[in-house]
Amino acid sequence: MKPAPFAYRPAPSVAGALDVLATEDAVALAGGQSLIPLLNFRLARPEVLVDLNPLTELDHLEISQGSLRIGALTRQATLQRSPAVAAGWPLLTEAVSHVGHAAIRNRGTVGGSVAHADPAAELPVALAALDARFHLRSGSGERTLSASELFRGPMTTALETGELLVEIEVPPAAPGVRMAFLEHARTHGDFAVAGAAVVVVPGERAAIALLGAAPVPVRASAAERAFLEGADGAEVARLAGADVGDRYRRALLTTLTRRALERVLA
Amino acid sequence: MRVSIVINGRAYEDEVEDRTLLSDFIRHQAGLTGTHVGCEHGVCGACTVQLDGEPVRSCLMLAVQANARSLRTVEGLAGPDGELSALQRAFTEHHALQCGFCTAGFLMAADALLRRRPGALTETEIREELAGNLCRCTGYEGIVAAVRAAAAETGG
Amino acid sequence: MTTRLVGAPLTRREDARVLRGETRYVDDIAIPGVAHAAFVRSPHASALIRSISVPQPAQADGLLAVITGRDLDGLRPFPVMEPNGARVAEGEAHPVLPLDDVRYAGQPVAAVIARTRALAEDAAELVEVEYEARDPVLSPRASDLALMSWSRRTGDVDVAFAAAAHVVSGRYALPRLVAAPMESRGAVAEYDAGEDALTMWCSAQDIHRSRAQLSHILGRDEASIHLIIPDVGGAFGSKGVIAPEVAAIAVAAIRLGIPVKWTEDRLENLVGAYQGRGIEGDVELALSADGRMLALRARLWADLGGYLLTTTPVPPHTAATLITGVYDIPVADVEVIGARTHKVPTGPYRGAGRPDAAYMIERLVDQAARELELDRIELRRRNLIRRFPHRTPTGLEYDSGDYEHCLDLALELAGRDEPSRTRPADTARGTGIGMYVERAGGAFESARIELHAGGRFVIDSSSSPHGQGHDITFAQIAADRLQTEPGMIELRFGDSASSPGGVGTFGSRSVAQAGSAVALAADAMVGEGAGLAAHLLGVDVGAVALTAGGFVGSPEGGSEALSWPELAEAASDPARTPPARDPGPLEAVARFESANVFSSGAHAADVDIDRETGQLTIRRLVAVDDAGTLINPLLVHGQVIGGVVQALGECLVEEAVYDEDGQMRSGSFLDYSLLTAAEIPPIITGEVETPTPLNPLGAKGAGEGGAVGALPAVANAVADALGGRHVEPPYTADKLWRALHEPVSGTRSEPMSRR
Repeated sequence: MKPAPFAYRPAPSVAGALDVLATEDAVALAGGQSLIPLLNFRLARPEVLVDLNPLTELDHLEISQGSLRIGALTRQATLQRSPAVAAGWPLLTEAVSHVGHAAIRNRGTVGGSVAHADPAAELPVALAALDARFHLRSGSGERTLSASELFRGPMTTALETGELLVEIEVPPAAPGVRMAFLEHARTHGDFAVAGAAVVVVPGERAAIALLGAAPVPVRASAAERAFLEGADGAEVARLAGADVGDRYRRALLTTLTRRALERVLA
Repeated sequence: MRVSIVINGRAYEDEVEDRTLLSDFIRHQAGLTGTHVGCEHGVCGACTVQLDGEPVRSCLMLAVQANARSLRTVEGLAGPDGELSALQRAFTEHHALQCGFCTAGFLMAADALLRRRPGALTETEIREELAGNLCRCTGYEGIVAAVRAAAAETGG
Repeated sequence: MTTRLVGAPLTRREDARVLRGETRYVDDIAIPGVAHAAFVRSPHASALIRSISVPQPAQADGLLAVITGRDLDGLRPFPVMEPNGARVAEGEAHPVLPLDDVRYAGQPVAAVIARTRALAEDAAELVEVEYEARDPVLSPRASDLALMSWSRRTGDVDVAFAAAAHVVSGRYALPRLVAAPMESRGAVAEYDAGEDALTMWCSAQDIHRSRAQLSHILGRDEASIHLIIPDVGGAFGSKGVIAPEVAAIAVAAIRLGIPVKWTEDRLENLVGAYQGRGIEGDVELALSADGRMLALRARLWADLGGYLLTTTPVPPHTAATLITGVYDIPVADVEVIGARTHKVPTGPYRGAGRPDAAYMIERLVDQAARELELDRIELRRRNLIRRFPHRTPTGLEYDSGDYEHCLDLALELAGRDEPSRTRPADTARGTGIGMYVERAGGAFESARIELHAGGRFVIDSSSSPHGQGHDITFAQIAADRLQTEPGMIELRFGDSASSPGGVGTFGSRSVAQAGSAVALAADAMVGEGAGLAAHLLGVDVGAVALTAGGFVGSPEGGSEALSWPELAEAASDPARTPPARDPGPLEAVARFESANVFSSGAHAADVDIDRETGQLTIRRLVAVDDAGTLINPLLVHGQVIGGVVQALGECLVEEAVYDEDGQMRSGSFLDYSLLTAAEIPPIITGEVETPTPLNPLGAKGAGEGGAVGALPAVANAVADALGGRHVEPPYTADKLWRALHEPVSGTRSEPMSRR
């Protein structure tokens, strides 16, 4: 299990990285916790690996005008240990604690997890529930996408060749907001089979994002509407799972959603 | 590419391929075979080393990425006079190892945990923090007991 | 004997080396100029090989050679064991590399030798193999070829069934499992053409079997193979047969004249190393109106894979012979068919047939209790074997045991601290008991002991460790008998150049066989020492007695002491050693052989199933094991816990999954899941010590019991929580949810017709 040969290029700058990504058979290396296993299994075999780790400008975590701005290269451990994140967006603290294990989170990056778009990953679902905005940059400029615009399929995003996720922006948390993330995995730190991220302000706002309902994070919009219309947790949860075909998966997602709602409403 | 990587305070300089994994550099180029390779896809934790004091999987980093960085491996755990650390002693006392292949990874993860969270840890905390390392022999009982004992000792 | 080291929980002496990172596993062995092997593997479960086109060394960077089946003229396939009374198919042994067909996905087809492992993997991609794929056979019941079979019919089983008040039947299956030691397999081969000597360092359970296999395959005298077992990172049965790849690199080293290393990577280990379990069966029990077991019928099918490796026939035979468990069942009709399928071969994995048998009989006994409306414990009590030795209808002789004591202790421990009674809402709760008897020990091992300067003893044991703790255990045994301290005893293992004869480390036999050999060698050393002491003191040997640190004798006029250091010095002194003896260290050799001994136990499990998610929580596991006399309870406890946790993994997550094309879908640790520290429930252990009369220690074996008993205990608890509905492990959440929420599909198995 040794990688096929590739050329390693440390990124001199974001622009330099974009240039290589646009013109060569190149893949961006962030934390490497998903990419390097794929290289070791020879399931990924790029000619060039552009190492983003030198780009310290992408490694930042700050609050600006109430929004949380997460540089793409921010380590998952940094997110997990941030008191500001725990205070304002505890959903992220909770979700990231399920990502792998301590040694994985020390290297793994928030942007890498998003760009990898594993359907079993926790962070994309949590970010979808928080209405996060994803800032992409390429040689021709910047654009900003929502989660539903970014995540296109299993391991597939709207990122184009030569385009890089540079920052994730999480809007300000509303006063009185409550959040919970629950998941079901076989063993501790394993990828989730199913999960539910719930962000609510009773009577005002509801966001319910599901992991495992589809190959991408999905917002349970019918359930969200029902919640705002005053439906009880069981009914909201039933609606959240209603579109899932497999009976077991539907039961699992319904249960996780209901329990997450019970937690935030307790 | 030529790299120079500081391991346990000593610089190891050598030529590496771009694709050389850090785990292979540590073991076969620096000759520090106390770090073991169990899966090469980041699940088992046997190859865990400390990069700037934090545990990382050395099979999920390239050697070139560690150029000019500082690592610590199991060979660097004992004191300068060779005295075993409290954690290492606790591993023997609590029969926390059988075949020994996973042990270095557990030690490097637990050592970092004890430094980051000094003081007594609950059993549940220890179990969850160590869930990134697999052991096939011990059933983890001795390992958890050893880390708990070392936490109580080092945390005062 | 005054010191009592036997029974003391002493810590291990090899730990310091491990904790400092100073161990040497096979991949740590660095020989200058060593070449590395990678293997081209079949992508098909079943295919004909049409052609193989290999790159020449000049065509790939660092490539030295490619070896295919065509280059292996004169090599024999693996030797195959024939368990007692079993029929084993001819011509089905695993070849080192195949000539014309492949029988499992992942089978090595060509060895690629290059300067580095990465370059070998690069060059392996240039090997072109043209296959003609065929439909694979994946179910043992669908196979028309038996690689092994065994049957035994004792007494008039049909009459007993015809007369029985109750007949209870069940159909059971255990999936294939991967042993997954944290160190995968591997070897280094080095050949000295001048001496025609092959030196191999191999991650293996023992030297004897590995060397015999290599000798058979290579057609080379054992004496010309120097086999060294370095530190071994776990085995659990999976390193008792060498890998075909190991034989291939031996050939490469001989042909190329340079040392060659193969380090199995995890992908190779998951898809290419022989697996465990993979057995199913129909079992039927005849009972009297008052719940006495009258007769048993069992027909088992084992999924043996594409070829026979050396020990492939053993686990199904073990399962079949242990199928009557701890119960006094007078007559039985048992058959096992080891079917050829297009998967990697199976072989021993911790328990190796024992958990299979315990799982089936213990599930059936619970099912019987349910159908007869009898208490599960009471039904067991009415049928436990109580008199020893006991001859089973399958032909085994259980030496000793106290099964009811194990059961009582397990129930007492389970009742003492009940896990929290508060039951989360919507939870199905169950409890279960699983009993087992385990075939341990058997065959021979030996030991050689020498007395060196300063009273230090060096013992060469024929057995070798891979984590069990042979070193301190054997030192305790010897120190007691020599009346010295363990610190004065050094153990040496795992080098064919110095090892006395033996068989190997497997089947919970190291203490019973190799430990007994150490005991006998120590006793013989005491005899040697006494003889020398008597000579030096000028008295009859009957007038010297062993005491702490040496001997005392009673020459005329009083008592005189001679310590082991003094004897060591005298033995090498031509002036003081007896004239008939060549001066030199005192030495003794002993060989110990016995029939099998039988460990046993009773485990109890408490489980909860979340009705909404199907998630199984094992709340607590009680493990009571009777391994005979315990030499080192600390290390035995480690063996029990380790075994229990492997069984819990089998219950919760472990399964080698194959798709309909015969592709192994569990080729990474993300797919083949192992339990982590966070999933382990409280485990409470209890010991019963019923010494065996068959060896001088009274010791049986503790290596496998944990893995044997916990499986049926959890299985019975899960069935209890499901209201008696039977589900096969692993008890994944989706499976349990469907069992709770979906109507029973299919039919209960019909009672077997006569064959």
